[in-house]
Amino acid sequence: MIWHIAKKEIYQNLTTLRFVLMIILLPILMIANALIYGFGDAGYTAEIRDYNRKVTQGLSHIKAYAAKGLGELAMIGPSEIPKYPTQLKFCADGADAFIPRSITIAGARGSRSGYDGGVVEDYRWRELWSLEYLPSNHGGDATTLIKIDWVFIGVFMSFFVILFTFDAIAGERARGTLSLMMSNQISRGQVLLAKYLGAFATLIVPLLIGVLMNLLIIYLSGSIPFDSGSWLRILGMIGLFALHISIFIFLGLFFSSRVSNAITSLVWLLLTWVCLAFIFPSLLGLFVGTLDPIPSIERISAEKRLQLANIEDEFQPREMLEVTKLSEAPSVDNPSATRHWATYFRRRSETRTRIADARVDQQLRQVQLARELTQISPTVCFQYAMEGLANTGIVSYMNFVKQVRRYRDTFIDFIKTEDRDDPNSLHIYPVREGLSQKLVNPDVVPRFKEHISYQSVFFPVGLLIVFNILFFIAAQLSFLKYDLT
Amino acid sequence: MSEQNDAACSTLNVAYKPMATLWLIIQREFVSNVLTSRFMIGFLICLMSTAAAVFVQVEDYEKRLAAYHIAVQEHQETVRTWDLYSQVNPKAHRKPNSLSIFNVGMEKSGADMVSIQLATPIWEKEAQKHGSDNPFLSIFLSIDVIFIFKIVVSALAILFAYNTISGEREDGTLKLVLSNPIARDTLVIGKYLGGMLSLFPIVIVSFIVGILIAYASPATDFNSADLFRLVAVLILSLLYVSTCYLLGMLLSVWTKEATTTLILSMFIWGILTIVHSNIATFSVMKFSLYQPQAEKEMLQHIEQSWEDFKEERDAYLLKKWGYKYPFSAISLIGEGALAISINANSPGELGFGEFYEIKPIHIVDVSKLQEVLGYQEPLRIDYANQAEALLKQREQVEERNRQFAKDISRFSFADAYRFAVGAITDTDRESYQDFMRRARRYKRQVVDYLSGKNAFSARAWLSNDQGTAEFRDLPVFQNPHTSLFQSLSRASSDILILLAWNVILFIGMYVSFLRYDMS
Repeated sequence: MIWHIAKKEIYQNLTTLRFVLMIILLPILMIANALIYGFGDAGYTAEIRDYNRKVTQGLSHIKAYAAKGLGELAMIGPSEIPKYPTQLKFCADGADAFIPRSITIAGARGSRSGYDGGVVEDYRWRELWSLEYLPSNHGGDATTLIKIDWVFIGVFMSFFVILFTFDAIAGERARGTLSLMMSNQISRGQVLLAKYLGAFATLIVPLLIGVLMNLLIIYLSGSIPFDSGSWLRILGMIGLFALHISIFIFLGLFFSSRVSNAITSLVWLLLTWVCLAFIFPSLLGLFVGTLDPIPSIERISAEKRLQLANIEDEFQPREMLEVTKLSEAPSVDNPSATRHWATYFRRRSETRTRIADARVDQQLRQVQLARELTQISPTVCFQYAMEGLANTGIVSYMNFVKQVRRYRDTFIDFIKTEDRDDPNSLHIYPVREGLSQKLVNPDVVPRFKEHISYQSVFFPVGLLIVFNILFFIAAQLSFLKYDLT
Repeated sequence: MSEQNDAACSTLNVAYKPMATLWLIIQREFVSNVLTSRFMIGFLICLMSTAAAVFVQVEDYEKRLAAYHIAVQEHQETVRTWDLYSQVNPKAHRKPNSLSIFNVGMEKSGADMVSIQLATPIWEKEAQKHGSDNPFLSIFLSIDVIFIFKIVVSALAILFAYNTISGEREDGTLKLVLSNPIARDTLVIGKYLGGMLSLFPIVIVSFIVGILIAYASPATDFNSADLFRLVAVLILSLLYVSTCYLLGMLLSVWTKEATTTLILSMFIWGILTIVHSNIATFSVMKFSLYQPQAEKEMLQHIEQSWEDFKEERDAYLLKKWGYKYPFSAISLIGEGALAISINANSPGELGFGEFYEIKPIHIVDVSKLQEVLGYQEPLRIDYANQAEALLKQREQVEERNRQFAKDISRFSFADAYRFAVGAITDTDRESYQDFMRRARRYKRQVVDYLSGKNAFSARAWLSNDQGTAEFRDLPVFQNPHTSLFQSLSRASSDILILLAWNVILFIGMYVSFLRYDMS
């Protein structure tokens, strides 16, 4: 009987205008998505090229400085660390334009030179490297647009779900068919389930066709390579689509069985949809600035300037004519001068690292809070889960930052261990002359390797399931109490 | 609904007076709209989201304004510390626009500050932002009053309009109404005006509440021109609402069932407000015939031009004075320790400044070096300007694409509305580009000012021992608002598009209804 009603529901849906509209719009969106992300020179191809170039640069950088000795390598550090671009950006763009594609290495050079009574004194130095979290510069005004990715298509699907379910109950009641159906030997729960299945099937099949078309185009374009992992992730995404659609079906059934008039239910549903898809996510996201304020960028940079200037005043490394703590250049024969320089470099690098790390931590914490708040909308949960699977969005950057920091420690440990093995070294870190001067085998220098974690998917998926259950119960209760007459 | 009946009864009794009937129809339409749940819900959502959006944006504006004032003040303090001409590095700050509270536009995504360095070309991409404490928060869609109007109010207008004709036909009331001595055109106009009458309060009240919230903040000081602009925005919003309502009515005439009308109009609404401009913009950017030159290629080009500069300079120095480097111009006249240092921009950067420091200066003769500088610095600036022209060329290609995308997007009245409001609130791309243009012009002014004072060959370019550099009458950067007239003329094409849509939809709806089949 359930299947019977579901089948009737499907047949009925197939002949409606909304189905025609959906079957037109969905492929258009899917093809647009495939064309925008799959073709052209600016997509994944360019990103992976950029990434590979940076990795090669990094290797040759290590090789070049390893050949200059451990001390030199210790000061310059690794080169810019790129973030691995994901193939699945077309599924979830994740505001990619705002996500930095790499973490750069800050380091400054300094020099002083002069004629001191005919004797030339010349000293050049390099400051200790530190991580620099530069904001993304891929912005521009295109960033204010909504991206046509799968997430957006999912949001649009939820709009269609509403158009399909708003009259599921109230419409039948108005036509009088609901009482006829209930006169059969069937419980209300079964009717609801049949309606649900009917709507679900009508929606998921066109979606699957659209997805297949999309994947086919992208696959044939050859610009995005898929491995088995990404196929699995795409399967997971289709599951997410199903969960998301199902929430809105329950929501539609709920409203449809709350009101007597189909149109009223549509009005309610549309306004709910606009709130869930657009208003809540952006408003709540912007409210965190008020809820959890962070110090302004001016204050931070003023503080940084002040602290660095204090160190500069204390040590005055560029001063040639007066006697300062750093008047003597560091050398293997002069451990005390070397120690002074080491203190200078360490203090500067500590200050810079502390301020930069704290800054980016504050920013990411704020974003994290905003993400947690916005998850009251199922659409947002869907988006975050998609981003998690596609490894885009801010969470992927958070993971990246964590791993780069771990790499920083590994790199410094490596330098210190290597240095310890050299009996000729002064073992004073971090100054070139205080460290071992022996050459380093570039192959043993640790390299950065990014591990992709899918942990961030679990929470939004859990929420999606909870939403499903909640709305299912709500729809069920509301239909049980529904007045058929 | 008794009101309706009253209206119907009284129509029967009166003789055919077009104005009186029209008024009756408007009244009836208004009452039947206002009593529905959609009016209540729509009003509430619109009001609350507007208030929340204004609240958030006001806070943001306050922050940006504070950042602007701090930056300007800091800059003034820095100017006072300059005592060498080579230190000149004025900044062009963009003052936050208080109307951005209602329409953010380019206001937040654009740069707030351009640092004017003589030997650095000004490039839009390198211009700096100081307002954003957390650039990552931009991943959340920025929402403002205009966005809410564009999405929510338009949906509301369609929800009000979809059943005006087809719904009444289904209920059978249309026949009843027309059995009275009422001309069809009176009915149509009455229904349209009635709908407007019930929608306008939602827009006007929400907007006024928004203005009041913005006004309550001490940071905002709207002058009369701003208020005029706000009124213009309100009028445009009403025009936009009317367009959406007419679209709904037209579809209502064209379709037989109210449900079909609603589905079809929601579908068109989704395409016009959300999908159309996004797809247009992306496709133009992706598949345009005019692709801008690759950035890396261009930067290499610029780097090369710096090499050319050095070559030209060195050749000239060798020919004229016989020096190999500018430094060779320094001759020692005293005894003691001497330190000479050059601070140059690193090769990866766009700029190519070189600054000389000679300590202590009294033991050397720098008059020859001054001559060299007097020749070399203007040349350097020339090269910087050439590089700037290159960067500008690339920007222009991008601009042309952007313009093309805008022209395609304009087809949708939702985007025409967005563009018109952007022009009126002076937060659109055009006004942002005015800022960049002015920054570039300001750089020329500063250069003229310096060469007017012979600053390049002055001793105070590199040393303050014989009088410091004087910056008292350094030109100040001015970035006035676009004048009201100019804003209006910029918005005019989009306003015309909105008006044209209104007229076309109204005529279409009117004509279709005159031929409407009642049965």
